[in-house]
Amino acid sequence: MARPRHLLAPLSRIAPPSISLPRPETARLAPSAFQSIRCAATNSAPKEKKKKKARNTYLNYDLRKADQFALVDAMQYIRAFEVGRNPSSSKYEMHVRFQCLKNSPVIRNRLRLPHPVKTDLRICVIAAPGSKAEAEARAEGATLVGEESIFQQISEGTVEFDRCICHIDSLQKLNKSGLARKLGPKGLMPSTKMGTVVTNVGSTVRDMVGGSEYRERAGVVRMAVGQLGFTPEEMQRNIKAFMDAIKKDMARISSRTVKELHEVVLSSTNSPGFTLTGEFRGEHSISPKELSGPL
Amino acid sequence: MVNIVKRMRVLRELLWIRTGPGALLLPNDVTKIGMEFSARIEGGHRGARKFWREMLPKIKYRNPTIPIEISRHKEPDGPSLLHIFTSTVPSTKPPTHLPTLTPSGPPTHSIDVKSLSESAILEKLIEATGAKAIETTPEQQQQMEEIKEFKERSEKDREMVREKLMKERREQALLKMARGDAAASS
Repeated sequence: MARPRHLLAPLSRIAPPSISLPRPETARLAPSAFQSIRCAATNSAPKEKKKKKARNTYLNYDLRKADQFALVDAMQYIRAFEVGRNPSSSKYEMHVRFQCLKNSPVIRNRLRLPHPVKTDLRICVIAAPGSKAEAEARAEGATLVGEESIFQQISEGTVEFDRCICHIDSLQKLNKSGLARKLGPKGLMPSTKMGTVVTNVGSTVRDMVGGSEYRERAGVVRMAVGQLGFTPEEMQRNIKAFMDAIKKDMARISSRTVKELHEVVLSSTNSPGFTLTGEFRGEHSISPKELSGPL
Repeated sequence: MVNIVKRMRVLRELLWIRTGPGALLLPNDVTKIGMEFSARIEGGHRGARKFWREMLPKIKYRNPTIPIEISRHKEPDGPSLLHIFTSTVPSTKPPTHLPTLTPSGPPTHSIDVKSLSESAILEKLIEATGAKAIETTPEQQQQMEEIKEFKERSEKDREMVREKLMKERREQALLKMARGDAAASS
């Protein structure tokens, strides 16, 4: 019986109070600048939460709206951006973007450009002293060649090279020496998977001296393709060689996955990226001769 | 790879390298431009560095055949100079003179640019060489205005977003603190 009484008290509160607060009508009409611009938060509540499916390809944009450049035009801009820089420290870079699945096999290889970008690579070759492989390696310009002597050096902690190649006959000795502990973390341990355990030492060293490695990361292959002092013709040859190599790699894995070229960008150390059209000269380009001189 | 919208924005802003003060055609007899200043701005080297960063790309873009060399030293009291090399025989050839003829003698003009602003240095360069400035068309002018406006607006937006973010973070921190206290007291 106590219930109705309980209800009575709240009912009296429902009636509007005699002294109601005046509503700030005018203030409402003029919304704050914050609200007027950022209105995304006023979205109506979603009726049902759709679980968004994670994208399994890399996001790519329509390039028809993008500004694209012929090689000569891009080089004219890049040379202007690199003005006054040390020409030996600044480099041209290529970025090649693919249209592919995120979990597709990556492109990874090395190639020898017609005009090498850097030539001061120190290479170590592990081959039996006195063998034919050793002579070849020395002839091609390897800095360190040997077996036991190198093992001893490395185990003492002196690693004075940037690449390490092993002849296939010396692989067993290398594995027994337990140097993987030292070389592995540096990424220098020779392995068949990396293509650094070889039978023909001479040609590998030759490729490495003027060669450069590239690898796909997040759908993009990046590589330095030229020194800043290169002429447009030299750059054209280098870019062509690079693109041909990539196309070959793409053809090799084409049975397993679909991978297509999406965008090719040329940039340099101090310049923005210029999407290339694939042409050498555009309609209004300057003569390539004008870009051949010193910076 | 950088987002395409960002990249395209940078390319649209390439207009600065084509127009504005510094976009000029040097006469044919200029063979080389050199600069010498300190790596740090103390001692009046600010203008020289600004000139390098802002004006020289424009000059290089319009005059791709002319080599431009910069050497920077470490002393604040050292020289701050603008060298202009000219060939002794004014050539009447078109501007595509082969750049193999790099000058080897002393520079024709050596301008002291210490404590000068970048625009003053540009004036001195024009005075010494008689370079012809490239006029900005009204369309380009308008485009520049648009870019400027866009940048101002984005700066404002950035501030607003930052404010909102900070507010959210502050609230969350407060909540966390309150929850932590409740857990400790019970």
